[in-house]
Amino acid sequence: MATLQLSALQKRYANGFVALHGVDLAVEDGELIVIVGPSGCGKSTLLRTLAGLESITSGELTINGRRVNELEPAERDIAMVFQNYALYPHMSVFDNMAYGLKNRGVPKDDIRRRVNATAELLDLGALLDRRPRQLSGGQRQRVAMGRAIVREPQVFLFDEPLSNLDAKLRVQMRLEIRRLQKRLKVTSVYVTHDQTEAMTLADRLVVMNAGRVEQCGTPMALYERPATRFVAGFIGSPAMNFLPVTVHGERLRLPDGGELTLAAGLEAGSALTLGVRPEHLVALDEGDATPEGGAVIQATVEMIEPLGADTLAYARMEGLDELLVVRLHGEHAAGEGSVLRLWLSPERSHLFGDDDRRIEAHRATPVTGSRG
Amino acid sequence: MTHFQRYRFTPWLLMAPQLIIVGVFFFWPALQAVEQAFYVEDAFGLSRQFAGLANFVAVLQEPDYYQALGTTVVFSLSVALGAMAIALLLAVQADRVLKGANAYKTLLIWPYAVAPAVAGVLWLFLFDPTLGLVSAALKALGVDWNHNLDGSQALLLVILASIWKQMSYNFVFFLAGLQAIPKSLLEAAAIDGAGPWRRFWTVTFPLLSPTSFFLLVMNSVYAFFETFGTIDTVTGGGPGGATTTLVYKVYQDGFIGQDLGASAAQSVLLMILVGLLTLIQFRFVERRVQY
Repeated sequence: MATLQLSALQKRYANGFVALHGVDLAVEDGELIVIVGPSGCGKSTLLRTLAGLESITSGELTINGRRVNELEPAERDIAMVFQNYALYPHMSVFDNMAYGLKNRGVPKDDIRRRVNATAELLDLGALLDRRPRQLSGGQRQRVAMGRAIVREPQVFLFDEPLSNLDAKLRVQMRLEIRRLQKRLKVTSVYVTHDQTEAMTLADRLVVMNAGRVEQCGTPMALYERPATRFVAGFIGSPAMNFLPVTVHGERLRLPDGGELTLAAGLEAGSALTLGVRPEHLVALDEGDATPEGGAVIQATVEMIEPLGADTLAYARMEGLDELLVVRLHGEHAAGEGSVLRLWLSPERSHLFGDDDRRIEAHRATPVTGSRG
Repeated sequence: MTHFQRYRFTPWLLMAPQLIIVGVFFFWPALQAVEQAFYVEDAFGLSRQFAGLANFVAVLQEPDYYQALGTTVVFSLSVALGAMAIALLLAVQADRVLKGANAYKTLLIWPYAVAPAVAGVLWLFLFDPTLGLVSAALKALGVDWNHNLDGSQALLLVILASIWKQMSYNFVFFLAGLQAIPKSLLEAAAIDGAGPWRRFWTVTFPLLSPTSFFLLVMNSVYAFFETFGTIDTVTGGGPGGATTTLVYKVYQDGFIGQDLGASAAQSVLLMILVGLLTLIQFRFVERRVQY
């Protein structure tokens, strides 16, 4: 069991490209940290520097307080599950799992016992004599997990381990990984670009962008209080709607001319961005009274995506270039071309400055209605 | 007339050039050699008579034939294994080169574009007992190099020249094989605690086995048949038959010695031998290949 500490970790490639701009991160013992970000954000590079597959340009990496910057991958006592599984095609499942133990000079009897126990744990017992190419995707995935588990390492590293599986298997393996990690209590770092995977697996979530950590926290904290506009847009599906707003005294003027009252302290005339999630835009029915506080905006539905439990409506709001995405309840009968009255709640909206950082505006006070 | 029938002869017409070339230059002479092996011809080529297996019996009773067989075994094994081992070493090193990799690769592939006879002459000059650079250097080191007199040195020289010639071919295939091995496998092995040496022998080498097997077959055929030009220019089979391989002996007995029957019998025996060798390779070595 181990803790992991990254201090100002920087990675610069020989061609001058900086993949990591000083990453700080502390991973607690037994924690499952998920690193998520778009492709090219440096998340895989970060994982590879942890594994020792990439050198560290500057900064320090410690495992259990011991500096490991200069150690070979084998000496760090970590195990990694690769995106393509990286199973040795010429070895049986048993030999694949035993390989790391053999290299470390573990006695034969011990190897047999440990591999069998791990195979049992992962339901691989019947497959030990097979070659990787005789296995299905899910089985290969489990062998890759088994190869990591059998070594009983200090840290597990996962590099997008589920991205080669089909959707159904992915959900199943996601639960399995979560269950195993909780059971084995091994400190883990998990890299993915899939935010559903990230949200469901993580004890804590690290969102990366362009070689920097944007925000780190529990999935719900990131969902509820995204620190930057990037995090706000990346976490949550469909993505948050962003409306350009300007400050007019105590109020924010919306693109359609409506106004939302937020308390003072904001420089008049400054251009800000208001973020609101599709699930937090409340569609009001004909007779509904306008709720206290917030603003009501009108938008014309241009496209409908029924998802069963929910329906996504893409609606045109006056003054806004992009379509507004609204999550409606399943039975909602909004047809294309109909006009939605949407209530925008101050408690459920997020404000970002022109540096894209979150602004904690005190939002209490009521309403000015919209023009509608 | 249906569409198919209308085009019945076109395919044959299109294949004709290739079929004619293979027929005229391979099947016809091969069949003639088989036929010739059962006849004895007079010295002037004016008459011949059926001799049954007499040619074969004569060849198999000749001590020179067994000497040539021994030379061929030593020569072929050395050339095939030497050319493959050196090529593999170079390919592994070239695979690790990041800067200027293409320049290295091109330089290493070049010898393949050199004709066997030219390669032979090149090595002949280098090792010439009176003019050669290498032999002069060897003399300075106290080695008395004269492949015109010393049979072992002569054999070593043709082996070296043949290896040099074949290396590039093997290099290309080994390099392609190495590049087809996913990098993540070696990374996984590194994390699994295998050092570079162990990684090579437990992961890289087994995964190269299809390439190695293919090259083993190709190199055996090369060593048996295609080294004729090199041997002819470097040593001419001498001294004292020390570098006379089976193929070279076919040429010597048939075209120098004018004993066409014996030469043809040797060709037939050689064909059978290589056929058997290839069969053995496919039956026993291929089983160990990891696809």
